[in-house]
Amino acid sequence: MFRRRRSTEDFAEEIRAHVELEAEELRRDGLSADEARWKARRKFGNLRAAEERFYMQGRWVWLDRVLRDLRLGLRSLLDSPGFTLTAILTLALGMGANTAVFSVMNSILLRSLPVADADRVVYLRTSNPPRGTGTIDSNQTFSYPVYDALRRQTGAMSAVMAYVPLSGNKVAVRYGSQPEEAEGDMVSGDFFSGLGVKLPRGRGFTEQDEKDHAPVAVISYNYWARRFARNPEVLGTTLYVNGIGFTIVGIAAQGFEGLETGGSTDFWIPLQNRPELNAWGNPLEDGKTYMANPTWWCLSLVGRLSPGVNKAQATAQLQPTFQQAAYIGLGSPMAGEKRPTLSLIDAKGFPGYAMQYGKPLRLLMGMVGLVLLIALTNVVMLLIARNATRQREFSMKLALGASRGDLLRQLLTESLLLASAGGLAAWFFAVLATRALGNWAQIESSLAPDGTVLRFTVAVLAVAVLLFGLAPLRIALSAGPTLALKTSTAAAGAEAGKSRMGRMIVALQMSLCVVLLVAAGLLIRTLRNLENTPLGFNVDGLVVFGVNPDIKSLEQGRAFYRELIEKMRELPGVESVTVMADRIGSWWSDNSAMMVDGKLPDVANGSSRTVRSNVVGPDFFRTLGVPILAGRDFADSDTATSPHAGIVNEEFARRFLPNQNPLGHLIGPDNGMYQMTIVGVVKNHKYRSIDEEPIPMAWYEYAQVPIVGRMDVELRVEGEPLAILPAARKTVQQLDPDLPLIRPMTQRAQYDLTISNQVLFARLAGCFGLLAVALVATGLYGTLAYRVNHRTAEIGIRMAMGARRGQVLWMILRESLLLTAIGVALGIPCAMLVGRALSSSLYGVHPLDAASYLLAVVGVATVALAASAVPACRAASVEPLTALRTE
Amino acid sequence: MSTRETNDDRIALLQGTLDLLILKSLVFGPRHGQGIARSIQQQSEEVFLVEHGSLYVALQRLEDRKWIRAKWGVSDNKRKARFYSLTEQGREQLHEKTGQWRRLTRAVGLILDANHRPQSEEA
Repeated sequence: MFRRRRSTEDFAEEIRAHVELEAEELRRDGLSADEARWKARRKFGNLRAAEERFYMQGRWVWLDRVLRDLRLGLRSLLDSPGFTLTAILTLALGMGANTAVFSVMNSILLRSLPVADADRVVYLRTSNPPRGTGTIDSNQTFSYPVYDALRRQTGAMSAVMAYVPLSGNKVAVRYGSQPEEAEGDMVSGDFFSGLGVKLPRGRGFTEQDEKDHAPVAVISYNYWARRFARNPEVLGTTLYVNGIGFTIVGIAAQGFEGLETGGSTDFWIPLQNRPELNAWGNPLEDGKTYMANPTWWCLSLVGRLSPGVNKAQATAQLQPTFQQAAYIGLGSPMAGEKRPTLSLIDAKGFPGYAMQYGKPLRLLMGMVGLVLLIALTNVVMLLIARNATRQREFSMKLALGASRGDLLRQLLTESLLLASAGGLAAWFFAVLATRALGNWAQIESSLAPDGTVLRFTVAVLAVAVLLFGLAPLRIALSAGPTLALKTSTAAAGAEAGKSRMGRMIVALQMSLCVVLLVAAGLLIRTLRNLENTPLGFNVDGLVVFGVNPDIKSLEQGRAFYRELIEKMRELPGVESVTVMADRIGSWWSDNSAMMVDGKLPDVANGSSRTVRSNVVGPDFFRTLGVPILAGRDFADSDTATSPHAGIVNEEFARRFLPNQNPLGHLIGPDNGMYQMTIVGVVKNHKYRSIDEEPIPMAWYEYAQVPIVGRMDVELRVEGEPLAILPAARKTVQQLDPDLPLIRPMTQRAQYDLTISNQVLFARLAGCFGLLAVALVATGLYGTLAYRVNHRTAEIGIRMAMGARRGQVLWMILRESLLLTAIGVALGIPCAMLVGRALSSSLYGVHPLDAASYLLAVVGVATVALAASAVPACRAASVEPLTALRTE
Repeated sequence: MSTRETNDDRIALLQGTLDLLILKSLVFGPRHGQGIARSIQQQSEEVFLVEHGSLYVALQRLEDRKWIRAKWGVSDNKRKARFYSLTEQGREQLHEKTGQWRRLTRAVGLILDANHRPQSEEA
């Protein structure tokens, strides 16, 4: 249909032939040659009309028109490349930022779990664990007896599944000969079938696998691709986990990366019951694994609601079973004890992401929304300005017979072209940005834009097209056909130049800019505070790595670490060595109440008894560089047979042993099973993360506690810390060739991880703030420059009448200062609201931080002045005579 | 013949009529456009004055529908001209449309004659 078989030339030829035949006939009838030709022509009628009718016939007329409009629009845009480029770039930045943030939000908060019928899947939560239990998370983890009781129920849930990591971090695996590390979970037999996760290759687990603790493993698609290069032969081969062989029987569907918060699970094995594979990689407690230990609430539970049962009904049905099972092995609840209550929450989205990133992401989305608003209004203003100067063109078109519909179509086409070009650029920008973001935030699931994001972008584009097409229409139509006859450019520009809308938009942009700058300022100051927070010790020169040796007995485990420490000390460049059970700066800590001198300490009403404790090796404080205020550090002389030694921090002493010498007091865990004498008091320092508040802390000596498992080794070295790692790896493998170094890194990097989110969001917020400023500056500059241009004649007249240059300069500047003042007046209250919303993300900064507000206002004012300076100077340098002559 | 009418039925009828006449004029062999126009004009005893612009549009339409086909050739007086001839499909259409037209004229005639008979008797 785009091309017809017959050309117009051919048709014209036929018509010509017709006229000649006709003329011939007439000549035969006796007319003269000229007369005959003339008469034949006349008889035919309008030749052109016939050709046009032929041309129109059978064609997609509208398509023809659209193509013509597109050509026209393209030509018109290419005629003003400066405008076009600015508009496209503005759009690309504004929309690109939005698309990027939306696509991150989409993949983190909105996309649902890649399981069958995700709406029916729920996480199990408890209000609190019973007294006398230890948990991973006091609301999210359960004991094995609770899991066992809940899975036996029928009715409410078609499946209750448990899953638990093999390590708080990564677990040692071996495939072939090279020791490596990977993230692995132990799961129920019906984990894959209950969730409805497909296994395109191999099989999942069965209930029998769980019962038998079968040595089989399913690996994730990502792990298969990353580690095994998608080799299908991997099925049936053996993966060694902590030295125990598992046959790989299946590969999970692409996209399913487990249910662990923020992580991606590499492999799954059925729930095991052997000391090497205890939950979370913990050492056995009184010789019992998690299965036999009702006091350790360590399993995460997820369930699938039975058909026709809603969450409330299921909760009600399960509650009695749960409350009874919660006390299995714990005795009966004490009088007045708050019993745990079960609740169910939707498991639709990716686990934990919403909690971790939800708020900052919504915040960023708001910020980029404002940026987009600024960008869109910028382009609208540019378009209005451009189309106002084209008023005479439109007027001419109307005079020549174009309908208003034709003008509207042309404007819409131009805006469509602009928006599509901008949208395309924005899409590329977003794809690159999300890739960079994913790497930066170490989010392993894909953040790349998908169909939903595309729909979002197209929707925004559609709004932009309408906005861009319709906003300038009024001005275009206001021209009317008669304006073309007027010759004065002043007359043409006058009405549009005074447009109040332009000024309102500029003031609005200024206020948005204030809001963005205040938010960015607050977040960046938060970041500065976090980065400059003293840790309380010298973190430079420290390197840390984990080891997870195969421990057969307490004595053997202690001997392993003793030997490891001794060998490490001998390495050249190593100043001192220590070990710790919880890696510092990794968010992990052991939290519990502690007995002081045989009883729980009295605390002021409402304050907490919680103590963060850690199990560490000799020279711990000397290695870190934490000042010892009283007493001594742990030493090699603290052994299993020597008196139990403990060290506390000054906050512990202040809160639980006020106004006394803490040395010599007895402390221990609240079950009264273990007691130690305080031998040292150390200065407060950061344990889990950079932004933690001082809290009571206590340290046990590793050789004295009745439990030993995986540990982290901390080395203080001379020179570049990471340079020691090859030597350290060699030393470890001399002790056990199967042992990898787990997550080796500098201690500085480990602490930086605890603020990586804040760093990321502060930097992004800063970028968006700058982007907003740049957009506002170009917008203001464009508007003012355009207006000054149109007032050239007016300014010329003023100057001819005796206005001085200074007065003209002031006239222009005054206007932008006024707009700035209005913008700031509007922006400050909005910024205060935003600041309050931000307050939970701030660290060491008040939401009404004066400096941030001042900076924002000064920033906006500077931008306004800078953007007005050029047009104002140009106005002041107008030569009155030249200006008048241009008329 | 080709005046624009707002009444859709009428246009369809008139267009159809021209198509029918063109097809009919081609029954006895290929002709060029001017020849078709002249033959319609002459055979209708000069009642129909074919507007040539419309004729060519109609010819194109029929060609697009594959009822006629066209070929450049040389006329009796040695002039280059585009000759149209009926296709098999065109012949069927002619047959069908002729039937339709006969039924139509008969029906119209019946109505008109019924109303006009008394008057004609008076005359």
